[in-house]
Amino acid sequence: MPAYALEIIVFSLGLVLLLVDAFAKLEDKRSLAWLGMLGLVVVFGLLFKVEPRAADDANVFWRFYSDSRMSLFFKGIAILSTILVLAMAIDYRGLIEKFTAPAEKKAHPQAGLGEFFALPVFACAGLMCMASATNLVSIFVSLEAVTITFYVMVAYMRRNVGSLEAGVKYLILGALSTGFLVYGFAWLYGITGSMDLAEIGAALKSGDVSPTAALFAFSLILVALGFKVGAVPFQMWIPDVYQGAPTPITAFLSVGSKAAGFIVLLRLSAVFLGSEAVAGQVAMAFAVVAGLTLIVGNLTAIPQSNFKRLLAYSSIAHAGFLLTALAAAPRKLEAGQLSSATVVAFYLGAYLLMTLLAFLVVGLVRVHRDSEEIEAYRGLGKSSPFLALALLIAMASLAGVPLTAGFFGKFFVFQLAIQGGHWWLVTLAAIGAGAGFYYYLKVVAAMYWDDPTGAAAKAAAIPVSALTRAAVVTLIVLIVIAGFAPRMILGLIG
Amino acid sequence: MDTGLTLNHFLAVSGILFAIGLAGVLIRRNIIVIFMCLELMLSAANLTLVAFSRFNTGANGAPDYHGQVLLFFIITVAAAEVAVGLAIIVALFRARETTDVTQIASMKN
Repeated sequence: MPAYALEIIVFSLGLVLLLVDAFAKLEDKRSLAWLGMLGLVVVFGLLFKVEPRAADDANVFWRFYSDSRMSLFFKGIAILSTILVLAMAIDYRGLIEKFTAPAEKKAHPQAGLGEFFALPVFACAGLMCMASATNLVSIFVSLEAVTITFYVMVAYMRRNVGSLEAGVKYLILGALSTGFLVYGFAWLYGITGSMDLAEIGAALKSGDVSPTAALFAFSLILVALGFKVGAVPFQMWIPDVYQGAPTPITAFLSVGSKAAGFIVLLRLSAVFLGSEAVAGQVAMAFAVVAGLTLIVGNLTAIPQSNFKRLLAYSSIAHAGFLLTALAAAPRKLEAGQLSSATVVAFYLGAYLLMTLLAFLVVGLVRVHRDSEEIEAYRGLGKSSPFLALALLIAMASLAGVPLTAGFFGKFFVFQLAIQGGHWWLVTLAAIGAGAGFYYYLKVVAAMYWDDPTGAAAKAAAIPVSALTRAAVVTLIVLIVIAGFAPRMILGLIG
Repeated sequence: MDTGLTLNHFLAVSGILFAIGLAGVLIRRNIIVIFMCLELMLSAANLTLVAFSRFNTGANGAPDYHGQVLLFFIITVAAAEVAVGLAIIVALFRARETTDVTQIASMKN
């Protein structure tokens, strides 16, 4: 089976979910989420059955599509995170129903729930297309497929002011970044005369292209993708949108949207860094943005008291580490050295595991304790030891404690930056990592050492469904495996 | 027919359009106007694409159609974006009775 069949299957799965929702008159719409998860698990299995492109295969798909190991790895990330987001959405359905139930008395209370389970599948199809896109047109279309789906999902709780505000903010800034992106693409196309990334790379390398025009196109694209990944100074939307969006969607946003931005950034930066004329300035721009992002993300996370906002700043901080890996991209790869694309892919994989684990717990606490403040986590170690352990591991990994996935993610970034001799970036990253220990472990301290106050003191244990328990255990196991044997994950990236 | 117009004329106009759109997004407070300005930015990109497509002629003098293909995708995506965007704005107006972006800041910073 060729790789592009996977996207077709996932997209059809989304359509099937919508049709079942419209015609099957389900009493309990949770079965839609189960159907979606089942389908995605099958697709995840098929990922290992993909046949590489045959040499004589002249299908028109290959003109804008790559089936490299790296793109298959990113497809895996997309599918895995969508499965986990659907699992989270099942636990979160009560709040969605509360804010979307139709006004008429006779209507089904779950009338607004079906699309909430179908939309992540469409976003997944978009993310998978983007993992393989090698042409400006396919990059643009798949990126917008993901972004527009996210507009709907962020604003999904249409009777909740916070969700709507988050939706509007995301809409305006997302559309602004789209404007910059297409203007940048238009210039890139204009100066190189091609939409294909390989041809664009060759044209930039040949030296026939004016470096000023190339840098202009690059800076427009950098602004656009800076918005997508949450790089400073384009990060201001992140805390509000993360806080207002439904928690499963926040998790999806922080993993999916970031992965999407970085895939595109990796592809395009390779094109620009390949050209002698502009490589120096491009690497410098990355380094400046990375440094700013590291400092602002980590330092503004310290005073946060709302856990979801804290995770939002943490996502900015992680974007800083990822950008550091891009800025330190080695010009010439020596034997045994990891390329910055491999480091970014590994970091994103690790980030997916630990962020989704944290958001699983945040969603459950939000549903059962009705709060996202860190105070609500006081005493969680006693009342719900399983969830507290899960959050402990997620926080340890996010902070970069050894023997977790997050440690090796940061380790490879530092290695790359030191090999490249970017000492001031290394210093900023070290300061950021140190600050990270403080704000992540603040939550751990609240769970295990602080005495609960108010309502939290009398709160009973949070019930955990079998599905959530399975998801949490899987994530913990994967985090620990990646922390002990990172080579296994690196082998998957190729 | 030679009109005397060169690529630079078109690029200048599209650059001005883009700048007007961006300024509108940053300055205006009415969310509908902001949305219109965002569409203006996309139109600027479209104009750039068409101009490059017209002036990057191939060996036989025909325009390079790749740029025009992207243009049609942009128009389609912009339409989808407007459909979703206006729905969200209407929902927000029902909840808050305002289209002023400075009024929608209930979350703490």
